[in-house]
Amino acid sequence: MLEISLAAEPIAHIGSFPITNSLALTWLVMALLFIISLNISRKISLVPSHGQSIIESVIEGLYSFFESVVGHHVKALFPLIASLFLFILVANWIGLVPGVGTVGFFHTTKEQPVVVEAQQEGVIQEPIEESRESEMVEATETKFVPLFRGPTADLNTTIALALIAFIAIQYFGFKTLGIKYGSRFVNLKNPIMFFVGLLEIISDISKIISFAFRLFGNIFAGEVLLAVMAFLMPFIAPMPFLALELFVGFIQALVFSTLTAVFVNVAVSHDE
Amino acid sequence: MDKLGIEYKLILAQLVNFTIIMFVLSKLLYKPILSMLEKRKKKIEEGLVLTEKMKVEEEKMEIRKAKMIAETKKEATVLIEESKVHAKDEAKQIIESAHKEADEIIEKGKLQAAEQKKMMQKEMQQEAIDLATGMAKRLLASAMTAETAHTVLKKHIKELQAIA
Repeated sequence: MLEISLAAEPIAHIGSFPITNSLALTWLVMALLFIISLNISRKISLVPSHGQSIIESVIEGLYSFFESVVGHHVKALFPLIASLFLFILVANWIGLVPGVGTVGFFHTTKEQPVVVEAQQEGVIQEPIEESRESEMVEATETKFVPLFRGPTADLNTTIALALIAFIAIQYFGFKTLGIKYGSRFVNLKNPIMFFVGLLEIISDISKIISFAFRLFGNIFAGEVLLAVMAFLMPFIAPMPFLALELFVGFIQALVFSTLTAVFVNVAVSHDE
Repeated sequence: MDKLGIEYKLILAQLVNFTIIMFVLSKLLYKPILSMLEKRKKKIEEGLVLTEKMKVEEEKMEIRKAKMIAETKKEATVLIEESKVHAKDEAKQIIESAHKEADEIIEKGKLQAAEQKKMMQKEMQQEAIDLATGMAKRLLASAMTAETAHTVLKKHIKELQAIA
């Protein structure tokens, strides 16, 4: 049967630190981005090669897009938001590669001993035996563990990215406006502003949750959808959904990075 | 939380992962590419400015070229005119000198002819004298004495010499 787990499964342990399948794929994504970057930076030239022109057009497109969102702050913000976009995009797309989520191993776990209560309902009861007997049964469970799982289909990754976005918003707010930015959250001028400040705190913290769950929900749902489609009709039928998931992966990367840019822009232009 | 798989260790690991990849991308991808784009932009701008300059320069050169061609044509026309005049003069001079030389040659020829004629006349006279002397000697030898013949001869010779 189809097994769907919300949590990423550990595939190994280093001490008490679990190496989950999503963490393994995150490292693969990092390696991929690192290799591409290294290749480009080594062979960079004024007259670009095909590969360089593709990467250049991507970077230039992102730069001009984020410039239209955050204006002159783009210089300081670009490494963060472009990295968010590229990392999420590659992470989303790598989760769609055949084999991710389907190639793995079976793991047999010993479950906690369960107390089985056996009640024998018989007319004739042997005198030696007790009417109720309890016996300890040791149950085992075989579970399929995929070797890789899309990094963004794991809440730990999306929460980490949301935290990065949240920290960046606050950092750029304080960096640009100084202590004045704090008055957005703690304002003792009048009771109304005080409550508005409280609401701002709640709204900013809720951003972490909305960021994390939006990305996780979309990508996880997509993977579940693909898994169900592949389970029901393995050939051809999942193709449109795969194309749709490619699009969703791109859109989610764009939404995450653009929202970060927009929130940073709101933070730095507060009171302006 | 357990069902969702949220674990603070993993969140921390992903935070570190993203920070690393952000620095790597910033160092190896964004900085070189953005600086290269900036460099290329500058180069293109420089190129455009240079092209504009070259165009202006080319236009100037064209004007100069046209001017020079016009001047050269003018000069050439003047030169041709001058050389035509010069050539006419030269031809005239050459013809004149040729005429002169021809006249001189004719004069020389005439002089030479006259001299030759004179010399021939002299030679003929001498031959005539010699002939006459011979004939007279023969005639006188038969008619006169040697003494009269000698006197008469001397007298005639003197006359002849005076004529020559």
